[in-house]
Amino acid sequence: MSWVLHRIDDRLIHGQVLVAWGQRLDPERIWVVDDGVAASPWERDLFREAAPGIDVQVLTVAEATTAHAAEAEAPGGAFLLVRDLVTARRLAEAVSGARDWNVGGLHYAPGKDKLNDYVYLNDADRSAARVLLGLGATLSVQDVPASRAVSLTSLDAEIIA
Amino acid sequence: MSADGEESATPASRVPALIVTHADLAQALVRAAESVVGPFTDVTLLSNLSLSRDDLERAIEAHVQSWPNGGLLFTDFWGGSCHTCGASAARRHGEVAIVTGVNLPLLLDYLHNRDRFPVGELAERLQLKGRDSIRVQRGTPA
Repeated sequence: MSWVLHRIDDRLIHGQVLVAWGQRLDPERIWVVDDGVAASPWERDLFREAAPGIDVQVLTVAEATTAHAAEAEAPGGAFLLVRDLVTARRLAEAVSGARDWNVGGLHYAPGKDKLNDYVYLNDADRSAARVLLGLGATLSVQDVPASRAVSLTSLDAEIIA
Repeated sequence: MSADGEESATPASRVPALIVTHADLAQALVRAAESVVGPFTDVTLLSNLSLSRDDLERAIEAHVQSWPNGGLLFTDFWGGSCHTCGASAARRHGEVAIVTGVNLPLLLDYLHNRDRFPVGELAERLQLKGRDSIRVQRGTPA
C-alpha cells in the first residue's frame, strides 16, 4: 500500500497533517523529506517525536530518492512531506512514483503572490511547478480533506504562461 | 497582547507565559480565565493563523527572548506547528518549558501558582493538573 499522500506544506508535520489527513488516511509512517531538517540532529529528533504512534523518518532528498520505490511496496500507508515546490520538483525528477502532489500550505513570505489563504507563490515556485507539470505531475490544492480540491493552475494562470 | 491588569507590580519570581494556538483559542482561553479570576498580566498570546513555519518560529522567539529567567509556552496540541515551532524557538533561550494541551483548568492553576514555583516545577505541576481536570461523568438512566 504505502504512499497515500505526497504533500507540499511549509509546516511539514503539523495539526492538519496529523489530525485531519492522519485520521482520514491512517498512515503508519511519515517521511519528512527535507535537507535542512535532516542536517540538524535536534530538528530531526523534534519531528521524530512529533507524531506519537506513527513512525516518522527524516530523510534528505537523496536518501528519499534511493528508498522511495521500496517504501511504495511496504505494508501500511505512508505520507511524504516536503516544505516547498522546489523540493517536490527535485524528488519528482528523480523518482517516477512522486507525481501526485497535494499542495497543503505555502504561506506568505515577502515577494510571494497570494493565490488563496494558504498558498502564496513566487517565480521560483512557479518555475518548479512548471517542471512538475511537464513531468505529468498533478498539483492539487487542498489544506484539509473537508475542503474542496482545486488544481494549482486554476488558481494561478501564470504557471502555464 | 497582554491582558490589561490592575494588579500590583510583577514579582521578580513570576514565571511569564505565552499561549500559542490555532485560530483564536488563546484569546478565548484568556477571556474565559478572566471571567473566573479577573484581569491579569504577564500572559501573551499568539495565533499560528496564516504563518509559515519560519514566521511562526520567529514570532514565538520574539516573545520568549524577552524573558530573562525563562518562562512557559502553552500550546494546544503535541505535534502541531505551535508546539514544534515553539520547541525550535525556545531552545535558544534559557529555561523555557512547553506544556501542550493547554486547557482552562491548567491555565487557572498557572495563574494561581506562577509566583510560587520555578519554571520546571511549575510545568510538571501543570501537566498533572491539566490531565487531572479531564474526567468523565456518566449519567445514570432515570
